[in-house]
Amino acid sequence: MLARSTLRPARALNGLRNAAVNVSKRAASTSSGAAEASPARLNLAAIASTTLAAGSMAWYYHLYGPVAFASSPAEEGLHPTQYPWVHQQFFKSFDHQALRRGFQVYREVCASCHSLSRVPYRALVGTILTVDEAKALAEENEYPDEPDEQGEIPMRPGKLADYIPPPYKNDEAARFANNGALPPDLSLIVKARHGGCDYIFSLLTGYPEEPPAGVKLAPGMNFNPYFPGTGIGMARVLYDGLVEYEDGTPASTSQMAKDVVEFLNWAAEPEMDDRKKMGMKVLVATTALWAISVYVKRYKWAWLKSRKLVYDPPAETKVRR
Amino acid sequence: MGIWDAFSEIVEAVTPWGVVEAEAPAAAEEPQEAPEAKVEEKKEEESKEEEPAAEEEPEEEEEEEEEEDEDEIKDPKEELEEECKNSPQCSPAKHHFDECVERVHQQESEGEAKEDCVEEFFHLAHCATACAAPKLWSKLK
Repeated sequence: MLARSTLRPARALNGLRNAAVNVSKRAASTSSGAAEASPARLNLAAIASTTLAAGSMAWYYHLYGPVAFASSPAEEGLHPTQYPWVHQQFFKSFDHQALRRGFQVYREVCASCHSLSRVPYRALVGTILTVDEAKALAEENEYPDEPDEQGEIPMRPGKLADYIPPPYKNDEAARFANNGALPPDLSLIVKARHGGCDYIFSLLTGYPEEPPAGVKLAPGMNFNPYFPGTGIGMARVLYDGLVEYEDGTPASTSQMAKDVVEFLNWAAEPEMDDRKKMGMKVLVATTALWAISVYVKRYKWAWLKSRKLVYDPPAETKVRR
Repeated sequence: MGIWDAFSEIVEAVTPWGVVEAEAPAAAEEPQEAPEAKVEEKKEEESKEEEPAAEEEPEEEEEEEEEEDEDEIKDPKEELEEECKNSPQCSPAKHHFDECVERVHQQESEGEAKEDCVEEFFHLAHCATACAAPKLWSKLK
């Protein structure tokens, strides 16, 4: 009461002076009384806040909006085309004829520069070679044996448990022999590169006869559109008829590339066939279990589903309503 | 490679009458050749007195033809991509690339090339390989 009584005379006194201010204040919070002032003036706060919001967004976009792509398409490299690899389908295994051909290409072409250090001869048995072939292949190389009585380490022919020997002693020797470029180990190369099989196939077959006009290559480098930067140390190695396949397949460049890529995919994922088989088993088991669960559910719910609810009204009585 | 292939493969795998056949081993060819060789030998024995030279000549010719076939392996990828480059599908990319090559050669003849045709080459190569990919896989083993 006190507050109200003190406010009232003050308002009465200032009534005339504050009339316009009061109206504009009310207009800012409500829209009544808009007839007296201009609409722009009344919407001043809305306009200002909207301008501020839009301005801050624009400023933010100006500062952080455009993403900086530092590399040109040449530096990025041409993205490989997707090829319909059969062995990548859900229920397909490797084509082991192709693996055998691919291993032949690796041995005759790639192995002179690239190691395959994670693949032992025993892994080849049953997938690519027979036991005898793998043993004969292992025996072509010598490996350090256990120390003899004098502590010397003699060399022995390879066994199935040995790993495929690298072409160079170490990375430095590999760089020295290859003009400074290190040929990567191929054991996991399919998993180690963006694009996987497609990338390696495209890289192997994608060397143009001559680089496009205006390209300046560093000395000793070769142009390959799929390699990031387009300058690659490896020259084109696969030429038509380079390898003579034992099964008589015409050894065109793309055929060899396809076979060797499938082989490298096997080297990277030798468990793929078993994995897909296991996946199939899981599907079979879960579908069987699901079917059983459906039957069990219907059996257990039978009494509930087959019940009948009956309304039994009470006998009619003479009650006045 | 879609999901429907997977279903059809399941159906194929589950059907009891489905038969899985591995490819015949390479050794099977030898016995087929052997009887022919024997027949030829017999023929040769029979015709020794008549004309031994006449039968040898055609064999040699066949061998030569086989060798020629082996020598002339053509890469289907290159052929298909060449077709694709000239197809209407890739004509814009090829047009741009050709124009760029012409421009750069002109710049080179005048002095130093100010640009390169890598980007145009990428677009053309992308178009050609994407067009050739499914056809190529049907040709390769």
